[in-house]
Amino acid sequence: MGKVIACYKWVPDEADIKINSDHTIDLSKAKWKISDYDKNAIEAAVQAAQVLEGKAVSLTFGGANAKSSLKDALSRGPDEACWINSDLASEADGFVTATVLAAAVRKMEDVSLVICAEGASDTYARQITPRLGAELDWPVITSVSNISINGNTIRAERQLDDCIQTVEAELPAVISVLPEVNDAPLPSLKAVIAASKKPVTELGDKDLGITDLTSKTRVQSQKAYVMIRKNIIFTEGDALDQVKELVGNLKKEGIL
Amino acid sequence: MAGIYIYSDKGPLAAELVGFAKTTGKAVNIVTFDQNSAASAAEYGADKVYLLAGDSLLVENNARAAAKFLMNEEAELFLVGSTPRGRDIAARIAGYLQCAMVSDVSSIVINDGQVSTERMIYGGAVIQSEMIDGMAVLTIPPGKFEAASGTAEIATVNINADSRVSLITTAPIVKKGVDISAADKIVCIGLGMEKKQDMQIAQDLAQVLGAEISCTRGIAEERQWLPQYIGISGETVKPSLYLSMGVSGQVQHVVGMREAQIIVGIDINDKAPIFDAADYGIVGDMFEIVPLLIQEIKNI
Ligand SMILES: Cc1cc2nc3c(=O)[nH]c(=O)nc-3n(C[C@H](O)[C@H](O)[C@H](O)COP(=O)(O)OP(=O)(O)OC[C@H]3O[C@@H](n4cnc5c(N)ncnc54)[C@H](O)[C@@H]3O)c2cc1C
Ligand SMILES: Nc1ncnc2c1ncn2[C@@H]1O[C@H](COP(=O)(O)O)[C@@H](O)[C@H]1O
Repeated sequence: MGKVIACYKWVPDEADIKINSDHTIDLSKAKWKISDYDKNAIEAAVQAAQVLEGKAVSLTFGGANAKSSLKDALSRGPDEACWINSDLASEADGFVTATVLAAAVRKMEDVSLVICAEGASDTYARQITPRLGAELDWPVITSVSNISINGNTIRAERQLDDCIQTVEAELPAVISVLPEVNDAPLPSLKAVIAASKKPVTELGDKDLGITDLTSKTRVQSQKAYVMIRKNIIFTEGDALDQVKELVGNLKKEGIL
Repeated sequence: MAGIYIYSDKGPLAAELVGFAKTTGKAVNIVTFDQNSAASAAEYGADKVYLLAGDSLLVENNARAAAKFLMNEEAELFLVGSTPRGRDIAARIAGYLQCAMVSDVSSIVINDGQVSTERMIYGGAVIQSEMIDGMAVLTIPPGKFEAASGTAEIATVNINADSRVSLITTAPIVKKGVDISAADKIVCIGLGMEKKQDMQIAQDLAQVLGAEISCTRGIAEERQWLPQYIGISGETVKPSLYLSMGVSGQVQHVVGMREAQIIVGIDINDKAPIFDAADYGIVGDMFEIVPLLIQEIKNI
């Protein structure tokens, strides 16, 4: 009957990153989004909550702009949203993020399952799930491609590099799902409308009673990877001419 | 004992991490969790191999006990091979130790007890450098350092593994076909190809080029047409020619092939980001372009 928490991160769209002349990056024009694979985590939580006959709750630790994420998250099916609104989020490392999320999970009573995605679109550190599990000292199952829940037992298929494991644990547990675990459908208009009526809990980091929230790693710089390529794109003439141009160039390059 | 501790579920990768660790002049210790791995690890040139014997079929179940061990030993740095198991146990240990962790680092510099790292963020679009004081857990992908060799003694430490997650079954993944990370030429297909039987045109092109076939994540993981894919969560390739059809070229894919000598993209959408990453491109329907291309190459 417990709650199922879906952790998602509100991130700038990496396709909108602008590169300054000194190769520093400009995110001011970027649209923000729910981290791609977190949509699958939300869907997995909604499905698990149905099986457990409990509530699905979305959880994000983000700055002021993460307010815009709440309706998007709720339109994907969770019953409630929880937002840890803190300026610390933008510079949080894995230690801070996992500490905050663990404290938030502890504060919500009666949690059966916490679901994260394999990795976030910005960091792709694949770190938070096991770290969060360690903070809570709960069993952890990562790289999950299939979930079945029976009573208080979760059985999961883990897709590793060399094998597929089937493992089992008693709830509560923390898991990370691969995007292949489900199809996260686009929210329907009805779901979008319903989302605005769902309850949202907003907390500050101070409300979580954590004493130390100093990142263990300090970011020194962020530099764009600059791609230097010829960018010769054949658009003129008919297809055969384009193909001939390409083959001629590949010959010149010594590839053919 | 203070010093650097190393773990990888891939033996050769542990040897590479020893190769790096030895350049720091610190004591280098390998951590293993089973007899066989300990025996192999004893040949990787470390000062000592610890066998943390805990009796679990799941390596990750040793995380809590391994964290305690590292704390007691006053480990300065824990280097772990970047694999799914490696990342999992590394992050759990960092969680139990409440210490710094940086995943998938591309460079490490150690200076006066400070660790500086570089890694990619935003799918590979940006390189972030970080600085850490004190204990750090780092995961490191293969191929960064020369493997070391040399004999070490094995010390066995009995631990209590966490038994809350139990293994029910294991099915090995049999990777059929060639290893694309070593391929000289690659034809890459993306989700723009909708039917499995259409892979034939890619195969025909690969044949005239003497290339191997690879794909994007969706083709491998969702549709399961091919075993390996290119990108940040897949393989990194460095062929002389990478030629794609129906691949949009988003950064998470491009990061895996942007070291190719020549990149060619064929895509119907002239705005597809693959063209920013390409040396040569044709905007067009692959079902029209690729047969012509096969014919032209045959005519050479
Ligand atoms: C954290 C994270 C990690 C990821 N890791 C990876 C990774 O390692 N590898 C990876 O590949 N992806 C990865 N992705 C996914 C990546 O972001 C893209 O979604 C993916 O690469 C897109 O695959 P695609 O190009 O095959 O498909 P699409 O983006 O759907 O592109 C299909 C293309 O085909 C073109 N097309 C359609 N019909 C035709 C035709 N008849 N002829 C020619 N062109 C046609 C379309 O114009 C389009 O450009 C990751 C994503 C995230 C968030
Ligand atoms: N700030 C955050 N708020 C909520 N969930 C998060 C946050 N950061 C990371 N996560 C979750 O942890 C997953 C893995 O993140 P990472 O380890 O950074 O790749 C993400 O996909 C989310 O499910």
